[in-house]
Amino acid sequence: MADKPKVAICWLGGCGGCDEAVVDINEVLLRVANATDLVLWPVALDFKYDHIEAMRDGEIALSIINGNVRNSDQEEVAKLLRKKSQLVLAFGACACFGGTPGLANFTTKEDIFNWVYRDAPTVVNPNGNYPQLKSQVDGKELTLPKFYEQVFALNQVINVDYYLPGCPPPPYLVMNAVSAVLEGKLPPKGSTLSPHRALCDTCPRNKTKPSRIALKDIKRIHEVEADPDSCFLTQGIICLGPATRSGCGESCISINIPCRGCFGPVEGVVDSGAKFLSALASIIDAEDDEEMKKVINKIDDPAGYFYRFSLPVSLLKKKRF
Amino acid sequence: MSSYEPKLVCFSCKFGWGYLNNEETLAKQIKNWVPIICSGKVDSSHILTAFRQGADGVLILGCRGGDCHYQDGNYEARKRVYLLHRILESYGIEKERLKIELSIDPEGSKIPQLVKEMSDRIAKLGPVKKIGEHVKTAAVA
Amino acid sequence: MAKKITINPITRLEGHGKIEVFLDDKGNVEDAYFQVVELRGFERFCIGRPAEEMPRIVPNICGVCPTPHNMASTKALDDLYSVEPTPTAKLIRQLHLNAFYLEDHYIHFFFLAAPDFVLGPDSDPALRNIVGLVNKVGIDIGGKVIDVRKKCREIIKLIASKPCHPEGGLPGGVPRGITEEERKWIKETADFSVEFARFALEIFKQVVLDNKEYLKLVLSDAYKLNTYYMGMVDESKRVNFYEGKLRVVDPSGAEYALFDYRDYISHIGEWVEPWTYVRLTHLKKIGWNGLRDGEGTSLYRVGPLARLNVAEGMLTPLAQKEYESMFDTLGGRPSHHTLAYHWARLIEALQAAEHMQRIANDPLLTSKDIRNMDLKLKRRGIGCLEAARGTLIHHYETDDRGIITKVNLIVATQHNAAPISLSVKKAAQAFVKGPEVKEGLLNMVEMAFRPYDPCLACATHALPGEMPLIVNIRDKHGNLIRSVQRH
Repeated sequence: MADKPKVAICWLGGCGGCDEAVVDINEVLLRVANATDLVLWPVALDFKYDHIEAMRDGEIALSIINGNVRNSDQEEVAKLLRKKSQLVLAFGACACFGGTPGLANFTTKEDIFNWVYRDAPTVVNPNGNYPQLKSQVDGKELTLPKFYEQVFALNQVINVDYYLPGCPPPPYLVMNAVSAVLEGKLPPKGSTLSPHRALCDTCPRNKTKPSRIALKDIKRIHEVEADPDSCFLTQGIICLGPATRSGCGESCISINIPCRGCFGPVEGVVDSGAKFLSALASIIDAEDDEEMKKVINKIDDPAGYFYRFSLPVSLLKKKRF
Repeated sequence: MSSYEPKLVCFSCKFGWGYLNNEETLAKQIKNWVPIICSGKVDSSHILTAFRQGADGVLILGCRGGDCHYQDGNYEARKRVYLLHRILESYGIEKERLKIELSIDPEGSKIPQLVKEMSDRIAKLGPVKKIGEHVKTAAVA
Repeated sequence: MAKKITINPITRLEGHGKIEVFLDDKGNVEDAYFQVVELRGFERFCIGRPAEEMPRIVPNICGVCPTPHNMASTKALDDLYSVEPTPTAKLIRQLHLNAFYLEDHYIHFFFLAAPDFVLGPDSDPALRNIVGLVNKVGIDIGGKVIDVRKKCREIIKLIASKPCHPEGGLPGGVPRGITEEERKWIKETADFSVEFARFALEIFKQVVLDNKEYLKLVLSDAYKLNTYYMGMVDESKRVNFYEGKLRVVDPSGAEYALFDYRDYISHIGEWVEPWTYVRLTHLKKIGWNGLRDGEGTSLYRVGPLARLNVAEGMLTPLAQKEYESMFDTLGGRPSHHTLAYHWARLIEALQAAEHMQRIANDPLLTSKDIRNMDLKLKRRGIGCLEAARGTLIHHYETDDRGIITKVNLIVATQHNAAPISLSVKKAAQAFVKGPEVKEGLLNMVEMAFRPYDPCLACATHALPGEMPLIVNIRDKHGNLIRSVQRH
């Protein structure tokens, strides 16, 4: 009788939501637990990294890793799991693209540390303490991992075999991915385990979209009472549907909130923000330079909208200082 | 005295710029020249890639107003450029480094001059700053 | 020979941290530190973002308790735009918050905390988890908990799209209303939840309180910390998760402060130490007095026990009875017995369930009046509520386009970070004596932090995710003498 395949689930710089998403497959989780040998899952099980380090290279059939890489410990763990695993799945927007915390690539480590440990209004720090890699307290040494200058997506640190985007990936996609692995029916390496096309293709509001959208004004979501049936873009509300991969089941759209792009770019595209920029530009209806600049300059925080989840993997990656 | 010469990429539309001239001749006069069939063909990702690969500036030369062979390619290009100015700002890249000029120049003789003028302007800004990489890794991407 | 014991990572909690225990020459615990190892910088990278996007960004602070972040953020927007949400919007938001309290408190109690009590703190680590618990108690508790969690998360999904990452939350309202059809199954879930909440308390009584050894542990000095307490109360000084004033009581139970949370800066200070990424909150007016409890302390705790300590009663009748019964057993209010957090948690879950029932039966729940559009930008907005783990404050400042210019966040586990360190130290001092360190004793040290249900992702607005649990015993030269591993 063949041994059950070993599976590891691990979080790096994640928020824990992707681990909750695994629990959200509910009863299916029990089937998975029966069919596999779960060797690591820090939130729920007591295994340690020693346990992993002691394995042979490639002994783990699949490592499911969520979270981005922001410090030295996370980098180490990512590399350890890569070494011991045959397949690595980047699970969730942070692992696939850097995620929301990737927005920190528009600022610097220094800026973050100065605010958090010095300038925030509630800080009381007369000794000017800052977290240190090594510190001495009453003759005892304590250590902390190193905080990097930028945020990295998982594939910027190790080779990744499969991607499952979303913040978090919805249960049905998680179940599909798990079944594909257990049945050995995975697509070619490098694939993203979600439909290839854009959200607009599956969005129910698409049916009422006019053949041409022409916006004279961009509105923010709190300024209006959005119509729950028509396309957000036709209402002048920024929605990243045209440049975002489908697969989420339009979860945000269904509560009358526009898409913010957590599924990343459609198949074949590297920089989803750039694609959305072109899409948005094409629906702006302005005759001359002056009018164009007026509409465009009125948009607040375009970079934040376009790169909410994907800044680290964007073409330019990070702000230059 | 610094002899810093900015690396400029120039996209120009074949319908409005240099179509009466010989491409090879012009290519010798203009470094990093990309003649294309319409300024509207320049996508945001092309411009961002240019900066990613080390360009200090990008110049786009298209046709005037209603002269666009494809009707509104030049119009789309402008909107993209203005939106990109906002994005480049967030990345710490000054908007002076991306310019679009709409005119007509059948000989293409003005192109080297326009490139030089822009080059001089952005030389004052210096090169686009580099981002440091802090992860020593033998991995991809 | 002085030694250091490293517990890294600590398990059965949300987030990552490590514990360092230092022994003196006799092998007794000299000191212990609870270190939080990560940081992300939400307070900085949110600058430049439109304020109304914040409820969609901040759930990424923590995927285990994203609802409180989403909601505190939404309340900050209400304040920022000087707008009162419509009554229906308020009902929907409270429905969301209560549903979250239920599923979150129960996951913690059954999956993370209960194994220690049901199986025994020094039982075989391989069994000391939900599976072992299910086998021991003989009923499919695990299945029931998963069911309650699933049903409550269906409510959250309906209101806010994704339980792990709620979206929605607008100043003055909510983006989506509730229909009469939906009310039907919400009612069912609420009724089921009340039933389950009473059942959970029964289990706790049978398994913990009726067991003399455990009761002794609960009342022992090893798990006792004399601190101040902070929590939100309504006008009648009852526990309220969603709105009210912040009340602080001193270790004797006398009211130390009662204030509008918008004034939090004058009351709360954050101290910085080089050995941890989390900032340590304390009472500003007393000033930082180090990691100590009792005389001279400026530390306060938050969370279930703290909330029950500062309040004079619960919001709902069944929970009120349990509240009285708990303090009877513990010998009065306030109680400093850290393990009682687990009990208070179950009582709060009952309140959440009862409140959900009330809301589910409220005729206004399905009204279409879900948005108050009368927005007047004020450029500063502060939102505060009680997250499951404790008081949560979101403070935003904006320019006159409502774009964020400053962010200050004070999160639940931050308030508890210093007390956790102290609790760990006390437990270590009580249980770790001499050179022999049994694995079960280490678990008893970990039992000192589990009651707080800490969320270290929140605590540093950072990301968790670290090492598994190993205890290395080193001599003072750092040479490894022994390695104790759980499991």
